[in-house]
Amino acid sequence: MRHLIPAAIAAAAFACFCATVPAGAADETVKIGIPVGLSGANSVVAPSVVQAAKLAAQEINDKGGIMGRKIDLVVADDGSGADGAVKAFTSLIFQDHVNVIITMETSAARNAGLPVVARGKTPFLYTSYYEGRSCSPYLYVDAWVPDQQVASIVDYFMKEKGAKTFFLAGSDYAFGRGMLEFTHKYITAHGGKVVAEEYLPMDASDWTPVLSKLRADHPDALITSTAGGAPNVTLTKQLRAAGINVLFGNLGVDEGTAKAIGPDAAGVYISQSYLTTIADPQNQAFKAGLEKMFGSDMKTPNDLSEPEYDGIYLYKAAVEKAGSFNEAKVLSELGKVSFTGPRGTITMDKQHHAPLTMYLGQVQQDGSVKVIQTFKNVDPGQQCPKLKS
Amino acid sequence: MAILFLDIITTASILFVVAAGLLIVFGVLKIINFAHGGFLTIGGYAALVTTQLHWNPWMALPVALLAGLVLGAVVELLVVRPLYARPLDAILATWGLSIVVVQMITIAFGRGTNFVQSPVQGAIPIAGDTYSLYRLIMLGVAIILGAVMIGILQGTRLGLTARAVIMNENLSRSLGINSGLVRFATFSIGSGLAALAGALITPLLSVDPLMGVPWLLNAFMLVMVSGTSLISLGAACVVLGGAQVAISTYSSPVLGALSIVVLAAVLLRIRPAGFARA
Repeated sequence: MRHLIPAAIAAAAFACFCATVPAGAADETVKIGIPVGLSGANSVVAPSVVQAAKLAAQEINDKGGIMGRKIDLVVADDGSGADGAVKAFTSLIFQDHVNVIITMETSAARNAGLPVVARGKTPFLYTSYYEGRSCSPYLYVDAWVPDQQVASIVDYFMKEKGAKTFFLAGSDYAFGRGMLEFTHKYITAHGGKVVAEEYLPMDASDWTPVLSKLRADHPDALITSTAGGAPNVTLTKQLRAAGINVLFGNLGVDEGTAKAIGPDAAGVYISQSYLTTIADPQNQAFKAGLEKMFGSDMKTPNDLSEPEYDGIYLYKAAVEKAGSFNEAKVLSELGKVSFTGPRGTITMDKQHHAPLTMYLGQVQQDGSVKVIQTFKNVDPGQQCPKLKS
Repeated sequence: MAILFLDIITTASILFVVAAGLLIVFGVLKIINFAHGGFLTIGGYAALVTTQLHWNPWMALPVALLAGLVLGAVVELLVVRPLYARPLDAILATWGLSIVVVQMITIAFGRGTNFVQSPVQGAIPIAGDTYSLYRLIMLGVAIILGAVMIGILQGTRLGLTARAVIMNENLSRSLGINSGLVRFATFSIGSGLAALAGALITPLLSVDPLMGVPWLLNAFMLVMVSGTSLISLGAACVVLGGAQVAISTYSSPVLGALSIVVLAAVLLRIRPAGFARA
């Protein structure tokens, strides 16, 4: 209780300071904090996330902002990890006083940021697919969880390709382990066999021991779940360089990274909620908007960047429905509002998670992704049964 | 089993290539060059520039070596030379320098992860299996590098003076050897070798501003247990690198990543001379 008093004084001082600036009302902005992995494992995808946010902010600002306030994006580098995330969240919430955090991050960074978010009572809209079951009254998620994604790849491998033995490999952190543990259970429950489940430290880049084991085990299929970005690339390159040819499903690769890997990624199966080839008019407008805004610097939008765009619009809808920027009021509306974007209509009404349409695709020689099967409005399942949503 | 053996010797080769430059600088200058990781990163980016210019991927090696030699020479003159009498401060200065290098690279190339074209693709069949051709080339590179360095140290005038400075700097100076020049050349060559190593390892990995950090740590521990001898460095790479591969393969790669550092620390506790003949 005692430490609340200085905070209250500081808050009061801040309020007074605001009141003494007459121009405040006109210049007032809504600050959206984006802690993101500009360095480290996520650095391959982070620029595309920032671009998606900038596009949403510009579109909204051109139409008068959110309830008359212009959006001001505050981007902070979290180094793709827990230490950097604590610093980034703390400075965004307690120094920059952002209204909301909307970002794609590693699970390690998200988990480190959650206590900071709870301390600041700031709404946190997480826009990255992840291992699931992260629950907090402050957290909403508009991207997929394993319940929505794993089944499509495993079912396809078992039924269409006759795979019986599976080798699982991933990065040693919450996402890597969470995804593969779910996959392991799913495979076993459906009559398949997991011959090995191997992890490498998150920033490690030498996959030699994992590849040697893979070679010795001769599985029918390999399923990987690494940190988005660099580890995907090193694993795929080393796998191809070692001459190992195996049915390969990747739970943690997005379209942009697949393109960065180049021809080595050809043949890999992925399952995503967003692909650049989605034909709806919202996606065409989204891609055209990015192209106009960034020209030749445009990064390929992907399943880690597009939900950031949806997230900012979902926050706008929640603020407008609440009729206020008050954090508590916005939080109670976030699970009710919808936004129709490139991925279709998104509503985070299932225990702070969203039903999503999933696409099973295969990476082609030129880096594009060919859709093999579409699964409409897949339910996220029981993610946070204890949360009242 | 054949594959495990190949994993061990190719991992040892990579470690040897990375640590060789650090070792000769430590031998002559008696300081650990903490900017070694920075020079390694410069080599990686030299390879990246080569890729971006669409040059032959093998051109990355001379480009990186040259960049390392030149930058090493500049750093020796401006940063290291004034601190010869204060080795601890020199360690601090090289540490700071590595931070500067990382930031300069971040400014020039961004924080992102980049990829370098590999000069050779694919795998070759060995013992009923296939193995990465590039890793096998690294084995050859390590052997050639080791042989050339030993040849220079044992067979040339430069090597003779360098060995004299390593053994007793004051005495060699009294015999008319310009030890300042030897230090200058050694630091420059050591930096060049670090950059060369950076260019050599990047086709297997990815290039980012912090790529040198994990390598610096392993190279540092390997040099600590090897003293000033290239032969002991080779032995240390095979034993500790082998332990890393074996632990990663039979236990967990997470433990394997720690094995070099932990084993080197334990070894130094039991036998302070490490792999060197005490």
